[in-house]
Amino acid sequence: MSVISARGIVKEYPYGGDSVRALRGVDLEVGPGELVAVVGPSGCGKSSLLNVLAGIDPPTEGRVELLGRDLGALGEGERSRLRLREVGFIFQRFHLLSVLTAAENVEFPMAEAGVPKGERRARARELLEYVGLGHRVGHRPPHLSGGEQQRVAIARALANRPKLVFADEPTGELDRRTGDEIIALFERLNADGTTLVIVTHDTSVAGRTRRVVEMADGVVVRDGRAGG
Amino acid sequence: MASSLRALFRRRSRTLLALAGIGISAALLLDMTMLASGLTESFGELLGAKGYALRVTPKGILPFDSDATIRDAAATARRIASVPGVAGVAPALGAQLYPVTGDSAREPVFATGIDPRGQMLYRVLRGREPGPGEVVVSEPMARDDRLRPGSVVSLASGLDVSLGRPRGTRRYVVSGVAEFLYDYAGEHSVALPLGEVQRAIGRDNQVSLFGVSAAEGVDPGALAARIGRVVPEVSVYSTAELLRETSRRLSYFRQMATILGSVALTVTALLVATIITIGVRERFGEIATLRAIGIARERILLGVVAEGLTLALLGCALGLPLGLWMARRLDRILLSFPGLPSKVTFFTFDPGRVAFALAVVVAVGAVAGCVPGLGAVRSPLGQALREEAE
Ligand SMILES: Nc1ncnc2c1ncn2[C@@H]1O[C@H](COP(=O)(O)OP(=O)(O)OP(=O)(O)O)[C@@H](O)[C@H]1O
Ligand SMILES: [Mg+2]
Repeated sequence: MSVISARGIVKEYPYGGDSVRALRGVDLEVGPGELVAVVGPSGCGKSSLLNVLAGIDPPTEGRVELLGRDLGALGEGERSRLRLREVGFIFQRFHLLSVLTAAENVEFPMAEAGVPKGERRARARELLEYVGLGHRVGHRPPHLSGGEQQRVAIARALANRPKLVFADEPTGELDRRTGDEIIALFERLNADGTTLVIVTHDTSVAGRTRRVVEMADGVVVRDGRAGG
Repeated sequence: MASSLRALFRRRSRTLLALAGIGISAALLLDMTMLASGLTESFGELLGAKGYALRVTPKGILPFDSDATIRDAAATARRIASVPGVAGVAPALGAQLYPVTGDSAREPVFATGIDPRGQMLYRVLRGREPGPGEVVVSEPMARDDRLRPGSVVSLASGLDVSLGRPRGTRRYVVSGVAEFLYDYAGEHSVALPLGEVQRAIGRDNQVSLFGVSAAEGVDPGALAARIGRVVPEVSVYSTAELLRETSRRLSYFRQMATILGSVALTVTALLVATIITIGVRERFGEIATLRAIGIARERILLGVVAEGLTLALLGCALGLPLGLWMARRLDRILLSFPGLPSKVTFFTFDPGRVAFALAVVVAVGAVAGCVPGLGAVRSPLGQALREEAE
């Protein structure tokens, strides 16, 4: 069974009286355990696609199945719960809650999902250790570097043990070396069984994934599977 | 939610400034609530203080509103007393008398002729009710003129205009010092047996008004109507009617209170809304991210509303003591206005009303927080994430 199955996705944004056609018929299948890089020039519709796949934005046309569920048939609340429990998100700007500590940021989605306090604590620490920040659990984001904040964001994305993680330009704000470390972390995560879809400009990221989906002008122009 | 409250207090100086503003407007609202009802309520207590629930006055005249008198007072009093349900009739005749030292007169004092066996004007603090040739003096007068029970005062009934000399001077023995219920602060006034005043000012068998007390269990309103039928040539006012009248005369006070109160509420709402809007705007990205990772809208909204609520609650906590303090100060200032009974207060602390006013402030805070909150959680999520990334 596919983790993501998208068919004929069209996304139009109303703009003034007109509309902008960001996606013009995209098909995409992502299977369990895949690590997919979505690349393409700026404005080609990568973020739009990611938002549609994740159920953040509804497509204008087409159908998305996420983890076996038809997103079009789910209400806003149900999609929100699906994202909370089964999908992880990582953004270009890390968007941690600056008043909370690293550990509290990681605990946040677990609290929303109803994970008991003790378990939350233990898992947050474990996750921060996993991303290499075991020694900074009590620090607040303003006191962490960009790379460290992105690691906290990754730990937060993993909080509810998602089967699938989306990342939109996760290395966009980071220098080369830090970016590479983050990608290495994604590779480890993928090796541990999580499906990942990463939107990126960064060719070095694309070079390290087994599958690269290349977009241009709202369509997929190349879908290169590793070894194929 | 705890995180958004922490966000509120991270912006300490901004939050404190807003809080000060909310506190002040809550205090103002509180004062206006207390003012709107205060004067009538305390005046009502005063009117009923000695148990006389009705006032009988010359036709169409409010108590002590003019020099008009009820003629044939003795007979009228008997007719009133004969009405079933009347427990007591207390006559009062107002006049001005001039205290005399040596052979010159001083500022006039308010003198009232009363029946020492039943009067509604004062409470004796020292000494006793006046007999023939005796007066009771108000406390400020006793203090200023050094009078005690047993002292002697000379009171003139008028001034000789051409000579500026007192006329009709008589000597009275002070029988007691009393607290005069309707006097303004520091007023000099005296009370003496009705006959003495009637003689002094040449108004034999006349009174300004009667106070009437109702027997146990008799409804004052119904009694007033019965007296009106038996003695049609007078007007009868129950305390309730007098209050209605006072309240009508004070309506400008209430209007002012309503306007200022509404202004205060609006200011509160604007302050809360502004501070929350700025906070929400600053955390637009955080909020969009929270929504993206699946935090329920309601939870996020709740957090924002909690901020508004907290601001309003803290504002009330500041506003309550501030408002009470302001009310005391304002009361003193307003009561120094000449001619106002010092026993009334402009501001009454009615816990129910005060609680209501504060509840309104808190509700306004919640609503004011709700508006920017709803805006943030209702905006299309994809676009919110994108705007944020710019
Ligand atoms: N809310 C919107 N309203 C109007 N046009 C939009 C909106 N969102 C996206 N677009 C347009 O849709 C197109 C695709 O945008 P999108 O953000 O998906 O591209 P992208 O590939 O992610 O670009 P980048 O690499 O710069 O992030 C662009 O032309 C963009 O201007
Ligand atoms: Mg993008």
